Amino acid sequence: MSASPQRFLYVPRDPTLVHASLAPMLPLTLIGNQTVSASALVDSGAALNVLPFSLGQQLGFDWSQQKNLVVLSGNLASVEARVVVLSAVVGSFPAVRLAFAWSQSDAVSVILGQVNFFMEFDVCFFRSRSMFELRVKT
Amino acid sequence: MSLTEVLPEVQTLSRLEKISLIEFLTQELERDKYSLIEPGRSYPVWSPDQAYSAADTLLQVLAEDKVKP
Repeated sequence: MSASPQRFLYVPRDPTLVHASLAPMLPLTLIGNQTVSASALVDSGAALNVLPFSLGQQLGFDWSQQKNLVVLSGNLASVEARVVVLSAVVGSFPAVRLAFAWSQSDAVSVILGQVNFFMEFDVCFFRSRSMFELRVKT
Repeated sequence: MSLTEVLPEVQTLSRLEKISLIEFLTQELERDKYSLIEPGRSYPVWSPDQAYSAADTLLQVLAEDKVKP
């Protein structure tokens, strides 16, 4: 386990628009009832973490068993979402507990937002160098 | 105007003008490289950027998660 900062690269999300589609995509392991590797958008503009529907299913969550409903905004405003809490491992950092709005849509990426990814990690973006840096909160 | 029409005109330029043209084209190419947002293309924004009530619910569920044995 490491407390020192770790660097990750921006990744093109659209092969036809490499420069325009570069985004801070974070590889991480999500641990619910099952363990799934994923790539998540580190999104400082998002109020909260978002999990696409099929990924929640892969993690072993039962939609009907999630009682906490939440209302999202933007393109997700019409999509129903429920709260799930899971563990996540990023790089060699210790596992953290993350709460997600599990959306009933696969049109969205895994989004890591202010609640509570940015409460667990300090993030520096270096878009001009196509990299970003994470530290565990101090 | 096509390239085949332009090239004979370019050949008539002085050496200094040709160098200026190269500089101009280089700048144009650099500018194109960074013209990343294409008019008419759709750029969906999925960030739930004002879902504060939902974020508050997540915090409450996290707090409950912390006190679980």
